[in-house]
Amino acid sequence: MKRGFRQSLAVLAGLSLVLTAAGCGNAGNGGDGNANTSEKPANANAAQNQGEKEKTKLVYWTYQRHDAEYIKQKIQQFNETNEANIEVEMTMMAENYPQSLDLAFTSDQAPDVFATQRPAEFYAKGYFEPLNGYLTDELKSKFGSFLREGSNKFEDNVISLPNVGNTIRLVYNVDMFEKAGLQPPKSLDEMVAAAKKITEIGKPDGIYGWSLPYKSPSSALDRSAAKIAEMNGFHRSGFDFKTAKYDFSGWKPIIEAFRQMSADGSVLPGSESLDMDPMRAQFAEGKIGMYISYSTEAGVYNTQFPPKIRWDATLVPTIDGGEAKGAIDPAASAWLSMSSESKHKEAAWTFMSYMYQDEIMRGYHESGLGISVLPHILEGAKEPSTPGIQNFLPTEYDAAWPVEPQGIVPEGKTWQEQFTRYILGGGNLDETIGELNASYNAALDKAVAGGAVTVTPDPSFDPAALRK
Amino acid sequence: MNRKWKHHAEAYLYISPSVILTVALGIYPILWALRYMFYDYKGYGEATFVGLYNFRRLFRDEYLWDAIWNTFVFAGGKMLLTLPVALLLAVILNGKLKGRNLLRGIYFMPTIFSTAVMAVVFYIIFNTYNGLLNQLLKLAGLPTLEWLGTEYAMLTCILIAAWGGIGNYMLLFLAGLQGIPKDVYESAELDGATGARRFWSITIPMLGPVLNIIMMLAIMSALESYEAIMVLTGGGPSGATEVMHLYLYKLLFPVSTGESMAQDIGYGSAVAMLLALIVGAITGIYLYLSRKLNDVHS
Repeated sequence: MKRGFRQSLAVLAGLSLVLTAAGCGNAGNGGDGNANTSEKPANANAAQNQGEKEKTKLVYWTYQRHDAEYIKQKIQQFNETNEANIEVEMTMMAENYPQSLDLAFTSDQAPDVFATQRPAEFYAKGYFEPLNGYLTDELKSKFGSFLREGSNKFEDNVISLPNVGNTIRLVYNVDMFEKAGLQPPKSLDEMVAAAKKITEIGKPDGIYGWSLPYKSPSSALDRSAAKIAEMNGFHRSGFDFKTAKYDFSGWKPIIEAFRQMSADGSVLPGSESLDMDPMRAQFAEGKIGMYISYSTEAGVYNTQFPPKIRWDATLVPTIDGGEAKGAIDPAASAWLSMSSESKHKEAAWTFMSYMYQDEIMRGYHESGLGISVLPHILEGAKEPSTPGIQNFLPTEYDAAWPVEPQGIVPEGKTWQEQFTRYILGGGNLDETIGELNASYNAALDKAVAGGAVTVTPDPSFDPAALRK
Repeated sequence: MNRKWKHHAEAYLYISPSVILTVALGIYPILWALRYMFYDYKGYGEATFVGLYNFRRLFRDEYLWDAIWNTFVFAGGKMLLTLPVALLLAVILNGKLKGRNLLRGIYFMPTIFSTAVMAVVFYIIFNTYNGLLNQLLKLAGLPTLEWLGTEYAMLTCILIAAWGGIGNYMLLFLAGLQGIPKDVYESAELDGATGARRFWSITIPMLGPVLNIIMMLAIMSALESYEAIMVLTGGGPSGATEVMHLYLYKLLFPVSTGESMAQDIGYGSAVAMLLALIVGAITGIYLYLSRKLNDVHS
């Protein structure tokens, strides 16, 4: 009896071990192991399909939420019409997309096709299947001029093709600007003064002139200060193509203007702890005079936060209100990539070719899901239907920059964190800029010495010439 | 011999799941980190041996030392607030109070809430602009505060951490209190000792061993806690609530490229080692001092 009991326990212990190991093991290439939403349960129709020709199942991962409906619809169309008997299963990775990809690749569960992110890092990790062999002459002629080393091409291996980019504008509350008798600011001084005046008029009603989601320094400044810098001839990374060194000194008036708005009390209280969506909700309520953000704002205000006020968008100010000395890069470089681990590469390419069709990309642009920068898509495209998108449409001030050195990581804090600290709390900006220049250039020198990066000064580089 | 071997084999089989898990999830990662702290390793590509470079970097990394200082402020504040309140509640709820079981349950409830959910709810309460707390202050005609701004964010984090911890420590104190023989109190009462006198002369000394364990647990948990802060403020604004384990987390699992540093396994491993030493040293010092005090007392 006792012995039997012990044996049963041993069997149970062994069984639980085996089950644990099986649970941790490879769940196949269907992405079944992840807990995210999936459009179609894997193998749902397995029994039904028995006897029919086996379908080639592809897994597609994306982190984009705003275009989910459109993409879902196109995938369904593909699944129903493609002659290669391919079925694509779309999985929306709501959060931590890069980490999810890392996990998927290390556990042999990588998707076949995935939305491109962190191209330099993921190229180094070997996640991308080079597309060079798949590109037809037609595709080369359409996309060739948009293939840039360090952006969507690494060591001549093409890892993705572009679709749309995001333009940047100053988004403002028309009602408050009219009430204050103001025009949208053209210079940094005007921006600071407008924020102050709106606050003076609006404060009794809880309305403030300016806000940014300062909880995340990169979210706040990547969309604002960095873009004003580009408009004024300084690359968003701080890299100076003329000297092939990092130099943030040109950013000084921009950061000072942001600091001044904080010091004036023109910033919505609590912005220090705001994420982007709660900030948009406040703007939609009419509590913020202006902020700077991407062209996705139009879609967001149409679907997520219907505004109670009239709003519009305009070009970001220049330092002195004069002609822009540069242009803002819409950063349209990559969209879809093929996994190096895919067991169905031909099928994956069939799906990717379908997605890169003119009709689908034009529809994407016309739906206002993103702003296309590709001439062959823009040609004959209708104006996007999303209300509010008009002033986000590309102008001569929206143009691509050369690719900055990739993977430069300074010791200590990033420029976003250092500048946010100054904007919110003050300090010595010259000292901060000096420290940033030193730390970024030290990291650059290290990368150059290690052979990870090559840089060449281009004294004739003119950011104003980027405009077409 | 055969029987003995069988007996041992069975025992090994029973402990094997926990041994395997301890080795795989506890010992192996530590050995892994011990190796990589001498390397420059970004989580992919080749790891380059850099000797003591990462350790030299520790000393010039002012953000790390700021985070360590913030941790002491956070841990000190949390313990100063949590332990006396938890003890007071435990003493009250150890008495013959009507509905004490219900109250014990209510006070313990925060312990079972998910830290992330708790942080989100507190964000709604403490949110400067339209948070519940500021709305109430406004209604009462009192000035509002930027609870999550640079000046008060740490205080807010301490309040929330204390709220989450009080129930747990209250329960531990209750267990300790129930171990004190009732007749000691009865004798004291016969001798005319007042409530305060009984508390200082009986309760506290007799809680000694439990108090030691609670203090040690409180120190370790306060020094290592970062989850609620990560959800609530992300370490901000401007690093005001960046505690050392949040700083370490960002080094090893960066949220985005512009946010703090990019993934740096090598330096992160060195930081992890330093933090483990700090927590270990503080706990060790506490244990040493408490033993000394016990010796003096006995």
